[in-house]
Amino acid sequence: MMPDFDQDGKGETKQWQPDLTVPAVLLEGVSKSYGRIFALSNITMALNGGVTGVLGMNGAGKSTMFKLLMGKLKPSQGKIRLFGTDPWKNPAPYARVGFVPEHEKMYDWMTAHQFVSTFARLNGLTRAEAGVEADRVLNFVGLADVAHKKLGQYSKGMRQRAKIAHALVNDPDLIILDEPLQGCDPLARTTIMNVIRELGRMGRTVLVSSHILQEIERITEQIIILHNGRLLALGNLHAIREKLDQIPHRITIEADDAKALAKDVIDMDGVQGISFPDQKNLTIQTHNLGAIHAQLPKVIVDHAHTVHTIDNPDDDLASILGYLTSGGGV
Amino acid sequence: MQAKPNTIYRSLDRKAAALTEFTMRQYRTKVSTWVVLGVGLVAISLVMLIYIDVMATGFESVDNDGDSYDFDNDGYPNGQELKLGTDPYMADSHPGLLDPPVEPEPASNYIDEDGFDISLQGTSNLQSTGFDDDGDCYNYDGTSSRKDGNNNNIECDVLLVQNRYTGEWEIVYDLNVDEDPDDAAYVAEATHMAFVLGIGKMGFVLLLGLFLPLFLATGLIRDEMSAGTMHYMLAKPIARTEVFLYRILGYLGIVWPYFIVLGVIFATISGFMGPGEGVFRFQDLGVWLAIVFATMMASFVYGMLFCTMGVMWRYGIVLAIPFAAWELGMCLVSMGAPEAAILRFSVIGWALMIVDAAAVLVWPNMDLFLLKGNSMQDFSAIKSSALALDFFYSKPGIGSSGLVSSVIATVVLLIQGAFLWFIGGAIFKGKEIE
Repeated sequence: MMPDFDQDGKGETKQWQPDLTVPAVLLEGVSKSYGRIFALSNITMALNGGVTGVLGMNGAGKSTMFKLLMGKLKPSQGKIRLFGTDPWKNPAPYARVGFVPEHEKMYDWMTAHQFVSTFARLNGLTRAEAGVEADRVLNFVGLADVAHKKLGQYSKGMRQRAKIAHALVNDPDLIILDEPLQGCDPLARTTIMNVIRELGRMGRTVLVSSHILQEIERITEQIIILHNGRLLALGNLHAIREKLDQIPHRITIEADDAKALAKDVIDMDGVQGISFPDQKNLTIQTHNLGAIHAQLPKVIVDHAHTVHTIDNPDDDLASILGYLTSGGGV
Repeated sequence: MQAKPNTIYRSLDRKAAALTEFTMRQYRTKVSTWVVLGVGLVAISLVMLIYIDVMATGFESVDNDGDSYDFDNDGYPNGQELKLGTDPYMADSHPGLLDPPVEPEPASNYIDEDGFDISLQGTSNLQSTGFDDDGDCYNYDGTSSRKDGNNNNIECDVLLVQNRYTGEWEIVYDLNVDEDPDDAAYVAEATHMAFVLGIGKMGFVLLLGLFLPLFLATGLIRDEMSAGTMHYMLAKPIARTEVFLYRILGYLGIVWPYFIVLGVIFATISGFMGPGEGVFRFQDLGVWLAIVFATMMASFVYGMLFCTMGVMWRYGIVLAIPFAAWELGMCLVSMGAPEAAILRFSVIGWALMIVDAAAVLVWPNMDLFLLKGNSMQDFSAIKSSALALDFFYSKPGIGSSGLVSSVIATVVLLIQGAFLWFIGGAIFKGKEIE
């Protein structure tokens, strides 16, 4: 058999056959420990299709879970399957998987096109096919016009998009993105979110991690919450939110005349108490966040108050985690 | 162009080509690569400059037997008087008084006038060879026993005696036979060969073959693991042992052409600068070929080894340095005692065997050449150059012929490399990558 030096044949990528009767991602009782410290503890879940947000604070075990799925780490206990195959023992499932690692380091001396097409050839594509595929995915992530610039000259957001292009080049069925929005400017953030939503619409299984609730909320409703290596919640973000709304919440308003605003706000339904952290700020306590948000704009406009910011300091991951870990449960 | 059918092999070499190309390009973008290659070039070029200087200066012939002098100041050099039977110590006995009278010859005729005429024929361990070129033995005014100092009943010859226990030869000269060989020619030839072997063994195989992999191959996998960029490679359907092999191929794609280019340059320079009747010493090309090949083989095995050490431990170079010291020691052992069994446990012992084998094949008369040089007086230029050559020249230590030795050494090096790939790949496979 002569080597294919000219590489003009048609690429063969899918020697390995996935088991389509099982979920794309399956974890059964998976734990990963370093000595006596558990990075991940007894995780069981199955995912197939759609976008799933993986939420957790730094160190919650998001990256560990992804590295286990990508066969970079060996589970201390339990079973991991990608399309029915153990990724630690067999790299074949990656023919259908795309992975965006969290690491910032890239090959700065390569252009985005070289970066994407070179690694596409590791899927078994020919040089020519890889070039065509690279053009396609770079266009998909919106980097077509800068595809031949060196990665070293890219901004953070462009680098993240190049990494996503690298992951999408083999047209994968499962895409795993580790903190893809971290450090991105708003424009890149929007582009990346659109790309992820689009992948979801195309029926792909997407796993995307973040430690910022609002980011995930804009992408998907299906979430997994990890905390200290444990699976805290798995399900619909709305269900979690509704329960969350039942617990006391704070709304902070910065206004020119906080005292005057307080007089008008106190009559609204659901307001349980008002306090003034300082001259310009007003804090409302409530059990019914939705009701307050429904009435607040009208009150402000009717009484011609000048309001600078409205903030929900409790509407973040930390408060959800606080609620879930205090025995709320979902 | 017609599309070729797909096979698993085709998709394999697509991956191999991609990763090998990538690795070569990555090397080219690193400053450290150029620094290492540049330092290697400078170091080895300095040795070559010394060689060029020595060869360009040339060697001066010395009158080894003193017969270019005129002891009795009668105008005739001693050699001429000895040849014609007059007394070199008495001014009133000289060839001018002979009938017919003989004109004095220039003294330079009696420098290098009696060279080596020794050759080894057949398998007898007691051989008579050679003759007296300048006639100062044949015409010597003395008894027959003075003219047959080696007692083989042949006047004015050279006796080759083989020690029946050690197998080593010894030269026993008759009086005034081969007593004034051409120093310049011998020293030039010996120095040239010593330099070729010295640069080849110490410069190419040891310095380049060992230290280039030490600096270039140790981080081949480890640097990617540390930087986190390994994730881009391993996120693709490719086995880690494959990644290991293709990274090595990329590394060889950089260092092998470098060795070949250097080898061609050095072979050309030494071919033109070296002594010989022709313009170019074509016969040495075989040795240069073996030197470059041995360096390539050594860099292949060392590359696998150091890359494995890098995978094993973040500070793999710390593991590699003691090993490099061991190989340096083995290199020196190989030159002194090429048959030492401990060399079988080294890489360089086998690599140098390839060079030794080629030297034996290309320079078949080396034993006699060294024997002649060693038969000269201590501290003579000839003996010193012969000792230098003797240091760098050794016979393949496994006792086989040149060809068989080089084949065996190559096979052993290939097995060593394949074994290290197996080990390195297995370790890499079991490594968790953060």
